[in-house]
Amino acid sequence: MFNDVRSLYLHIPFCERKCEYCDFTSVAGATGSEAYMGALNAEVRRIGERLGPLALDTVFIGGGTPSLVEPALLAGLIATVRSTFSVTADAEVTMEANPSSITAGRARVWREAGVNRISIGVQSLETDALRFLGRVHDADRALAAVAEVREAGFTSINCDLIYAVPGLGDTRWRRTLERVVDAGPTHISCYELTVEAGTPLHARVRRGLVTPVDGVRSIRQHGIAVDLLERAGYAHYEVSNFALPGEECRHNLVYWRNGYYAAAGVGAHGHLPAAAAAAVGLDVAAGAVSVRYWHGRGIAAYGRAVRGGELAIAGSEPVGPGMREQERVMLGLRLREGVRIGASNLSEAHALAGLGLIAVDGDRVRATARGEAVLNQVTLRLVGDQAA
Amino acid sequence: MRLDRIRNFSIIAHIDHGKSTLADRLLEATGTVALRDMQDQVLDQLDLERERGITIKAQAVRLAYTASDGITYELNLIDTPGHVDFAYEVSRSLAACEGALLVVDATQGVEAQTLANVYQAIENHLEVIPVINKIDLANADAELVRREIEEVIGIPADDAILTSARQGIGIDLVLEAIVKRVPPPQGERDGSLRALIFDAKYDAYRGVVVYVRIVDGRIAAGMRIRMMNNKSEFVVDEVGVFAPAMTRVDELLCGEVGYFIASIKNVRDSKVGDTVTDAAHPTTHPLPGYRAVTPMVYAGIFPVDSDDVTDLKEALQRLNLNDASLIFEPESSAALGFGFRCGFLGLLHMEIVQERLEREFDLSLITTAPTVEYRVRLRSGEVIAIDNPEMLPDASNIEAIEEPRTKATIIVPSAYVGAIMELCQERRGEFQQMDYQPGDRVALTYDLPLGEIIHDFYDQLKSRSRGYASLDYEITGFRAESLVKLDILVGGQRVDALSMIVHRDRANAHGRKLAERLRKLIPRQLFEVPIQAAIGGKIVARETVSAMRKDVLAKCYGGDITRKRKLLEKQREGKRRMKRVGNVEIPQEAFMAVLKMDEE
Repeated sequence: MFNDVRSLYLHIPFCERKCEYCDFTSVAGATGSEAYMGALNAEVRRIGERLGPLALDTVFIGGGTPSLVEPALLAGLIATVRSTFSVTADAEVTMEANPSSITAGRARVWREAGVNRISIGVQSLETDALRFLGRVHDADRALAAVAEVREAGFTSINCDLIYAVPGLGDTRWRRTLERVVDAGPTHISCYELTVEAGTPLHARVRRGLVTPVDGVRSIRQHGIAVDLLERAGYAHYEVSNFALPGEECRHNLVYWRNGYYAAAGVGAHGHLPAAAAAAVGLDVAAGAVSVRYWHGRGIAAYGRAVRGGELAIAGSEPVGPGMREQERVMLGLRLREGVRIGASNLSEAHALAGLGLIAVDGDRVRATARGEAVLNQVTLRLVGDQAA
Repeated sequence: MRLDRIRNFSIIAHIDHGKSTLADRLLEATGTVALRDMQDQVLDQLDLERERGITIKAQAVRLAYTASDGITYELNLIDTPGHVDFAYEVSRSLAACEGALLVVDATQGVEAQTLANVYQAIENHLEVIPVINKIDLANADAELVRREIEEVIGIPADDAILTSARQGIGIDLVLEAIVKRVPPPQGERDGSLRALIFDAKYDAYRGVVVYVRIVDGRIAAGMRIRMMNNKSEFVVDEVGVFAPAMTRVDELLCGEVGYFIASIKNVRDSKVGDTVTDAAHPTTHPLPGYRAVTPMVYAGIFPVDSDDVTDLKEALQRLNLNDASLIFEPESSAALGFGFRCGFLGLLHMEIVQERLEREFDLSLITTAPTVEYRVRLRSGEVIAIDNPEMLPDASNIEAIEEPRTKATIIVPSAYVGAIMELCQERRGEFQQMDYQPGDRVALTYDLPLGEIIHDFYDQLKSRSRGYASLDYEITGFRAESLVKLDILVGGQRVDALSMIVHRDRANAHGRKLAERLRKLIPRQLFEVPIQAAIGGKIVARETVSAMRKDVLAKCYGGDITRKRKLLEKQREGKRRMKRVGNVEIPQEAFMAVLKMDEE
């Protein structure tokens, strides 16, 4: 049994339409979702055959837009997870949903299927920003969606928001934050709009049609979010994440604490200890502590591979002790709780503390607000030269 | 071979005037290199030589040519470096010959460097045969170039040979002229051995291969020989000729050119210009003209990664085996750690050494701005030589600082004379002479500080004359000037490796420019970095690199981790090419910033 694998990520790649900025694995429309969900169930069972009945503390159904597929299909998927693995009594089961495919009725089905945390892609409450981002809902729909899931019995609700949107000034960003806080979610994520290669937004920037927001304004809007949300009682527990007490996303904390997670579905990434990786059938290089692996992005190819008895894994990377340490520090620095660092990096840590970028407490460090703004640089200085 | 059937000759040409191509054609025409083995620049064996289209090391090759008189002659071609940095090597190569082909580009005319080398040939009593090359080009003007050779150089050019090395035109005429016009060598076949060393190279398997011209006597395997300069003695293992590959022969006789190998471990024992003699029957008269080569330009070379200092030392030693003119000694810098203070013949030599170290030995290096050697007269009466600004004594102890001066000759089309004179003025040059030459060109003579020439002067000369100006210079002596040390402070900390010696009148302007340039070269750090220029503790310029405001990834979830880590690794690779001084990361280029101050 692999006791240290207690999380599972499931990817559902369907969306009403592809957003301008999105580089996740997704396709427009729900055509073929039935066949896909069949393959996904099959892969979950196959993982179960190879890893045994893992005790799962967290399950995260992400996308794409999981709320878009038929609620019955989702219920079926969760049932498969429950019958394949041992989902613990207090497990966190999150599902991502978009306002346009949320109704109180659908939410009740998800709730009954065992989803107990819902993450809503609100993004903005400003009409022009929503249009810029290519979102299909408006502010009223977004706020109604929050009410609907609450009405369906959800008590853990996250709202995703995006700042640094061209044309969205500080005042209107603050207004979005205030209105979302008023809607009363238990968790809020605030992401900077980033221009990823291969997205329509990237093409518009390249053609000179869009000028990305400069770093100074972006950092300022981040600061606005931190101030406003902390005052509203949301703890800033990760670079982009805020939660009421006890409402932190446990699944995501597994990522940031460099934990393990199995994964199923197109484009899904997993991280398994070496023995589990070997059991799954991944190549495990000598000396590897763990293996990170990922699925291919093609839906048709995924279906074929799973039907052929495979896991549709497209690539993997063995993680040696040095690399594991680098990743641990890199990820842990994102958390307000901070991260323990090795003795060899302590003098560097004190130098950074002297610059006001981190706080050092014994062998633990955490980024200050200033350090968080340049976290990549801070990380570079603290991961030292550990051999990968 | 009878003396009267030997011809030793060299080729003098400006860069790009076609020397290597002509040499290639001569090798082909005499069947020395089979056509199928032919590649461009056969004689330039270093990769760098081929890439840059220049000759760095001298080469020698023996050609067998059956002339129109039916007799087969032994022609020895000694190919010489063409750059001002290697002027002494050129002079020794010329001293090994009786004749020289003067190759002039029919579209370009005589250049300053050519002029200097041709005068050396004339001083060595060489028969100079003018060859006007590239006559196939549309803008060739052979008549004008012929007139220029006569008026500027002062040698008859009626019978200049017109060639196109690229097209193979006139090659036979060149070979005939070598036989007919270059005098055969003279010398005493039965006298005691006197051989002139004109180059040496280190071969990993055989030790040092010494390139010699036998002036008197003979040399053969088994002989015990003596280097007259340092009296070291060796037993000859092998003698041979270049055909063009090294080919063993029984002996090399008076008048001939070839090589010998004698278990010599270090090229320092076979210095260019030295005389080799028979240890059993030594001559009392060494050949004239030997001088120890002294560096003109000094710079510090440091490994970016301090752990590589041992590797750097080994690499320098290895290069040194082949290049006795490179000198180095350990240096330690507060900013850069341990490295080596190196002396070079000139800037090109410095660039070549740096490039070879990085390329052939896979080292990542920081080279500090080059400097010349100053003479410092102390109040105590003592005179010291300073090749590193850092070593300059406290100003209160200094009576005077003297800088090396040169006589610089610049040949330039008259349209650019104004621009070039302006450049010379900016560089504290003192005008001496201006001569008009055929083809609407002007020869300018200036007294210029060597320290100014090594700072980007050549590039400026080229850019302000659209590439038409050519330069030659020779050291004339030292002169006291009002010189001061300019210090640079980065993040409040003095960076010794950025200090330089400058003229007081221009020190402020220099400091401002340098600080400004450094501001552009030093990337934003996690905090604000002031860059200051100071003279004797007084700040004369200040610039600020503002702090980095933002560098953070908004999202980092399960699928982002591998990509994110790779991104960090890439960033770290970039940092490896920087040197951390105090808390500030300074890129390699910054240390050379002072070289490029006239840009932009």
